[in-house]
Amino acid sequence: MTTLTIVSLLPSLMNTNGDAENASVLRRRAEWAGLDARVVAVGSRADLPDRVDAVVIGSGSDASLETARSTLLTMHDELRTWGTDGVPILSVGTGWELLSWGIEHRDGSTIEGLGILPGRAVPRDGRVTGDAVVTSPRFGLLVGFENHARDYVGAEGSPLGRLRSGVGNGRGSGQEGVVMGTVIGTHLRGPVLAKNPGFADHLLASMAERAGLDYAPGPAAAVADGYATAAREAQLGAVGAAASVGDA
Amino acid sequence: MRYAPAILVGRLTRFAARLRKPGGGSAVPGLVVNRIAPRYLTRTLSGFPQGLVVVSGSSGKSTTTKMLVAILRAHGVEVFTNPSTANISQGLTSALLERADWRGRVPGDVAVLEMDEGHGALVMQGVDARVVALTNVMVDQIDRFHDSEMVAGMLERIAARAHEAIVVNADDAYLQRLAAKAGPGVAVRRFGVSAEVLARSPRGLGYSETSRERLASDSGVVVASVDGAAAALRDGEASVEITLPARGTHYAVDAAAAYATAQAVLGERFSMATAADALSAIPAVFGRGERVNVRGHEVEFVLVQNPASYQLNVDSIEPGTEQILFAIGSDVRDPSYFWPTDASSLGRVSIVSGSKAAEAALMLAYDGVEIDRVEPDLARALDDFLAGPAPGTGVKTIVFSADAMRRTRAHLGLTGAE
Repeated sequence: MTTLTIVSLLPSLMNTNGDAENASVLRRRAEWAGLDARVVAVGSRADLPDRVDAVVIGSGSDASLETARSTLLTMHDELRTWGTDGVPILSVGTGWELLSWGIEHRDGSTIEGLGILPGRAVPRDGRVTGDAVVTSPRFGLLVGFENHARDYVGAEGSPLGRLRSGVGNGRGSGQEGVVMGTVIGTHLRGPVLAKNPGFADHLLASMAERAGLDYAPGPAAAVADGYATAAREAQLGAVGAAASVGDA
Repeated sequence: MRYAPAILVGRLTRFAARLRKPGGGSAVPGLVVNRIAPRYLTRTLSGFPQGLVVVSGSSGKSTTTKMLVAILRAHGVEVFTNPSTANISQGLTSALLERADWRGRVPGDVAVLEMDEGHGALVMQGVDARVVALTNVMVDQIDRFHDSEMVAGMLERIAARAHEAIVVNADDAYLQRLAAKAGPGVAVRRFGVSAEVLARSPRGLGYSETSRERLASDSGVVVASVDGAAAALRDGEASVEITLPARGTHYAVDAAAAYATAQAVLGERFSMATAADALSAIPAVFGRGERVNVRGHEVEFVLVQNPASYQLNVDSIEPGTEQILFAIGSDVRDPSYFWPTDASSLGRVSIVSGSKAAEAALMLAYDGVEIDRVEPDLARALDDFLAGPAPGTGVKTIVFSADAMRRTRAHLGLTGAE
C-alpha cells in the first residue's frame, strides 16, 4: 500500500506554537483510518522525499524570517509544482507570509515572498492574540487561536472564510486566511487540524484521492473528535460571552 | 553610613507595602532603594568577604542554587542567598534589605545568587563574581527568548563577570563554546553525565544543542548513574553516592552542578562526605516529586510549567503508573505550544480535568494516550480520583499546571511552601 508522505517544512525554525504538529495530526488520522502514513521533517532541500502527499509549514520568529526564506527559495520549483498538482499545502503565520508576495515591515523594509499565494503581509498596530472563529465555505466552522503582528491584504478574492469573531486578515476585511487551489494560508495557530477535524478530513480526502486510496475517518478519530467538539464549544462559549459583554 | 537613609526609606516602604497587602509587596522596597541609591545593590553584592557566586541558565537554577547553599552551609560557611522568586534587580535588593542592618550591611561569608538569565547581565554590571555556574541553554519561554543564540549571549555576559572560575555543563554545546572563550586566569570547571546516563534518556537532556563528547571523569564531576532517586557522582577516582530530592536525571545533573561549584568555592576546605550528606538531606518540593499522604493514599504531584519541564516531568513518571489525573487550568491560555511534546509514555490517564480539560484530552489523544474520563470540574475529579482504590502499580499521580496546582492545594487543604 502507498505510504502517504507528509512533509513538515523547516520544523526546527517554524514550530513556535505547535503549528508544525498539524503534520502529525494528518499522519495520526490517516493511521486511524487504516492507511500507512509518515511525516518527513525537511530542514533543507536534501531532505525532500521522492513522494509528497501534503505539506505543512508553521510559524517562526521574525528573527528567523530571512533564514527560512533562503531555505524555502531552494525549494521554490517544488512548491510551485505541488501547488499546481493539487498537493495540499497548509501554511500558518509567518510560514504563510513567506509563501505570499511578501512581507512589509513598519520601517519600510520588505521581504520578498515566494509568490505561491496571492496577497501580502502588512504592518498593524499591536499584536493580536485571541480566539478566532471563521465560517469557511469549503471546510465548515473553523475555531482557533490567532497570534500575529501583521495584517494581510490581497486575499479578498479567495479568503479561507468569513470571520464570526476575531481579527483575521484585519483592516476591516471581515475575512481570514487565503486559499489558492489546495494551497492554504491561515493565522489560526497551533494544531488547527486537530481542533477542526472536518478541515483535516477535507485535506486527507484530497490526499487519498490523488494517491488512489479511500479515506474514511477511523473509530479512534471519533474519540479524539469528541474532545475536539468539547474544546470548540468551550472556545465558542468564551467568544459568545465576550461578544455579549461587548454588546451590553 | 552612606546607605543609612536609603535603607530607612526601604524599610518604611516595606512596612507600608505590608500594611496594604499582608505578606506581599516584596519587590517594591527594592524598587525604591534602587531608585534613590542606585549603587547599593552592586556595592553590597561585591562586599561579601568570600565573594559572590552566581547560578544562572535556562532550567534547574533554583534546585542547583538550593543544593549549593546546602553544601556550603554544611561546611560551616555563612551564606546569604535569594529566594528564587527574587532573581531580578528589585527583588534582589528587597531580599538584601530583609537581612541588612541599619547601615545596609548584610551578614554572611559568601553570597550565592540565583540569577534570571534575562536580567542577570544587567544586574551584574559593575559587580565582580568569584564563581559563575551555568546550568544549560534551552528556549522555552517563546515570548521572552526567541532563540538559543540570544540566551547563550546573555549567559556569556553573566559569565564574563567571573574573575576566578566558571562552572559549566559539559553536555551543553552552547556552554562548552562559551567556556572556550574564558579569559586568562579564569578556571573552567565542568560537570556532565556519563554515556550510560545519556543513553537512558531517550529524548536527551532537553538542551538546545547537546555536545557530541561526554565528559571524561578526570575532567570534572560526572553523573555516573541514576536509578530512581539514587545517583552516583564520579569525582576523579571516587564514587560519591547521593539521594536526590526526587526521581529524575535532571536532579542528578543539578546535584553535579552544585557539587562542582562548591569545589570551586571551597577549594581545599571541600569534603566529599559533607557534600554528599548535604545533597542527600535536601527535601523534595511540592509539585516537584514530593509524595504526600492525602486521604489515605500516597500521592505524587507533578507540576508542568513549560514544554521543557512538561517533557522532563512526564518522562520521569514511572512507566506503567496505573492511575494518573491530568489537570490543565486557565493559566494555559492556549495549550498549542505544548503540542510538540510527547506524552505517549503515560499510556493511559484516568481523568483529564481543569478548565482546559477538553484541550488537554485532545492533545493526549493525538499522543496515543487512552483516556478513561474527562471531568472539567477539578474538585469533583480530585474527589473521585482519591476515592478510588489504591493502584496495582505505581502511586496515584497528579499532573497539573500552576493554576490547577493552586486549586488542587486549596481543595485538598494542603499548605506549605510554594
